[in-house]
Amino acid sequence: MAIKFEQVNFEYPSFDGTNFSALKDINLEIAEKGEFITLIGETGSGKSTLVQHMNALIRPTTGSVTIYGIKIEKDTKKKGKVKLNPLRQRVGLVFQFPEYQLFEETVLKDIIFGPKNFGVKESVAIERAKQVIKHVGLDEEYLKRSPFNLSGGEKKRVSIAGILAMEPDILVLDEPTSGLDPKGRDDLLKLFMGIHNDLNKTVIIITHDMNTVYKYASRVLVMNEGHLVYDGLPQELFSKENIKSWNLDIPDIITITRQLEDKLDVNFDSQPHTIQELFELVKEVI
Amino acid sequence: MNIIEIKDLSFSYQDEVDALSNVTLSVKKGEWVSVLGHNGSGKSTLSKLIIGLLKADSGEIKVDGVILNEESVHDIRRKIGIVFQNPDNQFVGVTVEDDIAFGMENLCFEQSDIVDKIKEYAEKVSMSEYLKKEPHALSGGQKQRVAIAGILAMKTDIIIFDEATSMLDPKGRESIMNYIKEINKAGVTVITITHDMKEAVLSDRIIILKEGRVIACGDTNDILNDKETLNSSNLELLLPLKLQYLLDEANLSNDKVKDILWQLSLNK
Repeated sequence: MAIKFEQVNFEYPSFDGTNFSALKDINLEIAEKGEFITLIGETGSGKSTLVQHMNALIRPTTGSVTIYGIKIEKDTKKKGKVKLNPLRQRVGLVFQFPEYQLFEETVLKDIIFGPKNFGVKESVAIERAKQVIKHVGLDEEYLKRSPFNLSGGEKKRVSIAGILAMEPDILVLDEPTSGLDPKGRDDLLKLFMGIHNDLNKTVIIITHDMNTVYKYASRVLVMNEGHLVYDGLPQELFSKENIKSWNLDIPDIITITRQLEDKLDVNFDSQPHTIQELFELVKEVI
Repeated sequence: MNIIEIKDLSFSYQDEVDALSNVTLSVKKGEWVSVLGHNGSGKSTLSKLIIGLLKADSGEIKVDGVILNEESVHDIRRKIGIVFQNPDNQFVGVTVEDDIAFGMENLCFEQSDIVDKIKEYAEKVSMSEYLKKEPHALSGGQKQRVAIAGILAMKTDIIIFDEATSMLDPKGRESIMNYIKEINKAGVTVITITHDMKEAVLSDRIIILKEGRVIACGDTNDILNDKETLNSSNLELLLPLKLQYLLDEANLSNDKVKDILWQLSLNK
């Protein structure tokens, strides 16, 4: 098991003394390989706090997170015996709006910054940059360009390339597609699927988009008010009654299928995954 | 009466291709207009030009009869509130209540009035419990709701929502769309900038931008019927519309199904 949460609680301190409890008794295991996980839940439900525990950016108030055999607890000090750098190299975390963290003169310098920080030789890092820039769907020519003259979508890709260049085993992305249009979103998701399939890495994505969850995820985690309330298959999730109380949407394809069943007074045999599949079903009943 | 009139507006960033070319459009007082387009279509550039954050290369913007220029920009900004996509870029206060107060203080509201309005608008966006909280204790969606409260409290004639719900969860998005309906009913002119057709169908009129040009402009019903334009716009079509197109192509549609799908497209 790559990452294991055991009875993790986390509180954000506040000046007025009313600490905010963001995570409540979380137990969770993440495999090193082969998982494509989406993490969902309404704003403020604890999703970002949860993933920040996955590479020890923050430490549990109580309980423990074990990352590649290293146990992280409240008083695991940064400069103590536990070295956190290797963990952060293995679990690559891409924040929301990573494009705001680009700062170097060229795309190349930005991409090699991370690996160099983790002690990779510059020549090796440059070779990696040439590889990862292609993985994120950009031409090698981009390496020479200034990151500031790129479009939002390109910047996102460059910042993801920077994390990939550290060669993490697990890639965690906090709302990587928010603010992108449908095409940009699909392109990026295909990219993550590619990283997952070709490089055999576990990918964890925070999202609000249930269409993404339904289409791509093999496992869904649902957070609600600091609790992990669901850990399972997307298909089962959307047929659950509780889904409304967790303030989650239903994927569009499920919504329209149900509406059509209602208005046409029919029951389709299966739940279609695509509009084409729905078309085939509707064809039979009109 | 047109509260915004834009004529032949063009703009390019540095030496790059035009972000907007020869855009002409108008917005009526009290209307709710959606500007729809994919990333890079120029829609955010348009909103930045309207509030004078960017200066046009050529063309003219009139707000409430006044031409936008260096002298008039400050007066015009008193009439237009804007909520941006990323809440982190617009949270200026130390706490939630400071942040809501910021815009009103700039417009020189009475202090006692500000105190009342903070409560009123925090309530409207369901953030009353968080008035003393610092931004780091809030999620992105919560910060966005605070930004919206601050803009609503300024009581400007026009409010632009520039992808303002794209960071929100479904519940947050729905509540913001409900405020938009409410303030629009109360007479505020609303411009929502979005790539989400589900949001756009709620407005009176839709303007579609593609590669910096207006490719369609009309009543929401007419736009939804314009299959050719929608297909060429690179936008993600609503599923009921997609299904309708598939049925049309197979010559399988009938009036009953068509009507049902139409209602579903309009979110009814």
